[in-house]
Amino acid sequence: MRKWILSNLVFGALALASVHASFAVAHEEHHVECNETGMNAMHADIQAMDEGEAKTTATKEMKMAEDMMAKKDMKACADHMHNAVEAIEK
Amino acid sequence: MSDLAACWTAARWLIVTVAAGALLTAIVAAALVYMGSFDVAADKPHSEPVFWLMNTVRERSVAIRAADTTVPADLADAKRVASGAAQYDEMCSLCHLAPGMKRTEISRGLYPRAPELRRKSDLTPAEQFWVVKHGFKMTGMPAWGVTHNDKLLWDIVAFLQKLPELSPSEYQAIVKSAPKTHDEMMEDMGMDASRGDQ
Repeated sequence: MRKWILSNLVFGALALASVHASFAVAHEEHHVECNETGMNAMHADIQAMDEGEAKTTATKEMKMAEDMMAKKDMKACADHMHNAVEAIEK
Repeated sequence: MSDLAACWTAARWLIVTVAAGALLTAIVAAALVYMGSFDVAADKPHSEPVFWLMNTVRERSVAIRAADTTVPADLADAKRVASGAAQYDEMCSLCHLAPGMKRTEISRGLYPRAPELRRKSDLTPAEQFWVVKHGFKMTGMPAWGVTHNDKLLWDIVAFLQKLPELSPSEYQAIVKSAPKTHDEMMEDMGMDASRGDQ
């Protein structure tokens, strides 16, 4: 029984670690993270953009990322931030 | 009471009220400064109104001060452009990037962000020269006029006119075609590029 609990704990820890790693790795090339620092950096990037389609897209994606972060959906948040970065670096 | 005396009393009240208001505003402002209320962290962007205000202050300041600058007639000269390319690559690209260059750690950490100059600039050549020469307070933009003469700074401005139309390979080619490296140009000016001494 102890062995079973221990193996489940190890498995659970590994699963959690891999989920966390996947968020980071998926956006490694842009180094964006769905947290307050990442959000602030993106807002600073958007402020510096000229008015136009790219800025509108980036702003919309950031709004959706914030909504997802508020709902604790970190995967969707990271996806929207990634889309915002693509618009910024276009 | 005569009309004149009534008018004088009203004026005195107005002056006292305005002075008291100004004093109160100054006290509140001083208290806010002393309490560290304004967050100076570069990773926390300004609110939109503050950002607009800072931008407008910068734009108007440059426009007014650059208005009388005479732009050299030979800004399109190929040698001048190539010389400016070498300097841009050495002095500017780390923050302002270049064609084919990914954002750097510095460009991503500066606030306000340094504009990517491969994109179209709203500044005139005279304004660009002023900015390169004098820099900007509280932005990370240095005053290159402290260590470089006007001729070299105009070379950079000459290159900036060309930059938005360059592909990554064209950028590399034009940097390599420079008659001298940045350090050689500094030596010509009697400056040690590694120390900035004269």
